[in-house]
Amino acid sequence: MLETTAKEFNLGNLLKDLPTQIDKLNEFRKLVLTDAVLLGEIPSPTFNEEDRIRLTVDRFRENGLEDPEIDEHGNASAILNGTEGRSSILVMAHADSVFDANTQHVLNVGPDTITGPGISDNAIGLATVVALPKLLEMLGIKFKDDLIFLANTKSLGRGNLDGARYFLDTMKRPIRAGVCVEGASQGRLSYSGLGTLRGEIRLEIPGNYDWNRFGSSGAVGQLTRVVNQLLEIPLPKEPKTKMILGGLSCGTTYNKTPKRGILRFEITSEEDQVIEDLRQKVDDLCEQCSLENGTKVYLEVVATRPNCGIPFTHPLVKATRSIMSELGVTPEVNPSTGDLNVLIEAGHPGVTLGLTTAENTGEENESLHLEPLPAGIAQLITLLQAIDMGLCES
Amino acid sequence: MTGDNKKWLDQNTFHHGEFWDILKLVKEKEKKGLKISLCIPTLNEEKTIGKEVLILRSELMERYPLIDEFAIIDSGSEDKTLEVASSYGADTYLASDILPEEGDKRGKGENLWKAIHQLKGDIICYVDADISNIHPRFVYGLVAPLIHRTEVQYVKAFYDRPLNYSSGLRSSGGGRVTEILIRPLFSLFYPELTNIIQPLSGEYAARREVLEIIPFPIGYGVETSHLLDLYLKFGLDAFAQTDLDRRVHRNQTTNALGKMSFGILQTFINRLHSQGKIDRIPDMETFYRRFQVEDGSYNQLTQEVVEEERRPMIEVAGYQNRALSS
Repeated sequence: MLETTAKEFNLGNLLKDLPTQIDKLNEFRKLVLTDAVLLGEIPSPTFNEEDRIRLTVDRFRENGLEDPEIDEHGNASAILNGTEGRSSILVMAHADSVFDANTQHVLNVGPDTITGPGISDNAIGLATVVALPKLLEMLGIKFKDDLIFLANTKSLGRGNLDGARYFLDTMKRPIRAGVCVEGASQGRLSYSGLGTLRGEIRLEIPGNYDWNRFGSSGAVGQLTRVVNQLLEIPLPKEPKTKMILGGLSCGTTYNKTPKRGILRFEITSEEDQVIEDLRQKVDDLCEQCSLENGTKVYLEVVATRPNCGIPFTHPLVKATRSIMSELGVTPEVNPSTGDLNVLIEAGHPGVTLGLTTAENTGEENESLHLEPLPAGIAQLITLLQAIDMGLCES
Repeated sequence: MTGDNKKWLDQNTFHHGEFWDILKLVKEKEKKGLKISLCIPTLNEEKTIGKEVLILRSELMERYPLIDEFAIIDSGSEDKTLEVASSYGADTYLASDILPEEGDKRGKGENLWKAIHQLKGDIICYVDADISNIHPRFVYGLVAPLIHRTEVQYVKAFYDRPLNYSSGLRSSGGGRVTEILIRPLFSLFYPELTNIIQPLSGEYAARREVLEIIPFPIGYGVETSHLLDLYLKFGLDAFAQTDLDRRVHRNQTTNALGKMSFGILQTFINRLHSQGKIDRIPDMETFYRRFQVEDGSYNQLTQEVVEEERRPMIEVAGYQNRALSS
């Protein structure tokens, strides 16, 4: 068992309750799975989450929460009043998905798995947040603090966490801490937000392009050159820094030279200045390519996040590790590039947890394992109880 | 469209959205002292049955107690249908174990028939097991007219089948067998029944009193026979239909549809015999009836199709003369 904090006694009691809680949650898991299927079968691409959000807020209302509402950015939120209500704990899950509306959002329910697009990212996370008030009622658990439930929009890709950012910017209630809920993977423990820049290098060949000039080529050739030059940019080992070339789109057929192309990439680093320096280098590279080749190459930054985080020794992180240890789960510590960033940026301690294990994540045949789910939900509830007992103030 | 048809369509055609308030339905059901049973007939449906049981049980028994009883009645699946259904809390039965003294016949109609004996409800709702996009509306949309309107005995589902859209107008109908076989037959022999937009849909709900007095073909003809038999006994006013929006399911091969049509034709011709329409075939209707939807409103279109015939050419004087002169 890991060393715990001054609140060790209370946490110890909570840990003892875990096996019973898991058994009960196993009985009640159909509640979460039903919401996961109903929510997950509603397409919810980033910027078009309205339909999924409408069902979410209906569920908040049906589950007896206070003030269910949809804000200007389409986020759905509601409150479970605590017995004292001196402060609040935020439980959030993003409602958007990487799959567009044309993807057939049909989920297959087997005895041990649910399979289909977006089930682990993040239909099951959202469903858990939605079903949590009912689960707490069934488990007979009451909180002193208010619980704020949030289904945030515009989280992924170009959404740039805008939904959660708006909610936290405009939220007036005091927040003790927040927990971001993701479907996969159980054991995930994020307590810091990684500095990130997501960008698109766009290349356009002008109508008057001189196809006879030295080194002339279509967009595929030009972008290949850009890729090669990007790969030659040295990345520091310390602070840890990474560049991912995530996507390249160019051309439509076999026999026509394309005139446009887009290269999508992400830079992450533990040091914001490194990201800024790399952004400058990419900018320079684009300008160089433009001038040398007579094309238009430019960088469009679509999302940025600064580095942020709470220490490894923060009581919230220690308590999460203790709970995982009690469940026999090895923590996978990874910085987040998601909603946790805005939570911590806004000055609230927080972690991101994963509920269960999954396969083929991000693919249309994404498959969620059901057996670990009750333990994943128990982990979340126990952590919320610990926060409610004043863990973050210890 | 006749005034009567229009009136029936207006009064007896619903959209599931009218019944979104399930709690209100539950209260009305309890006030009227009704019990509702749900039956899913199965044969090798392991891919879709888990979701149907999960969603319908959780939403319509546990969250809102609209359904009092929920049973899977199986024809002897060889896959994991029963195991999956049980894992999500369904009561499962083998059709062969119900009324064993009546013997065991294999077919969906057999399961539906035996469900009347096995289940206790005043209203029985049948839902096919192969629906990929199952949703509580597939049940509450069908039982709601029976809860609200005492004169309604039998409620059929119909669905949005997006075929060709142009200028806000689209054809609305059933699948290929409905459009190619059933609608022409109904247009000929039972023109009023053409008001039923999807006569072959596998989802319907009915009162026990009417289900227990009609025979059940065990195979493909069960839906057709229900309509014909109940129409004979009670007329069109006993029916209602509900638009359940979209239904995603397996696409059947043309061969399978041919087999289905063959079974349906047997049932249909049996009814023509028993209702005296084959020995004394009435003057056949010459109006073909179908539906179109415009701005959410269902309109029946009638089109005169007179299949006039020419005698054999050999009997035509001009032809005979032509033969002589050549």
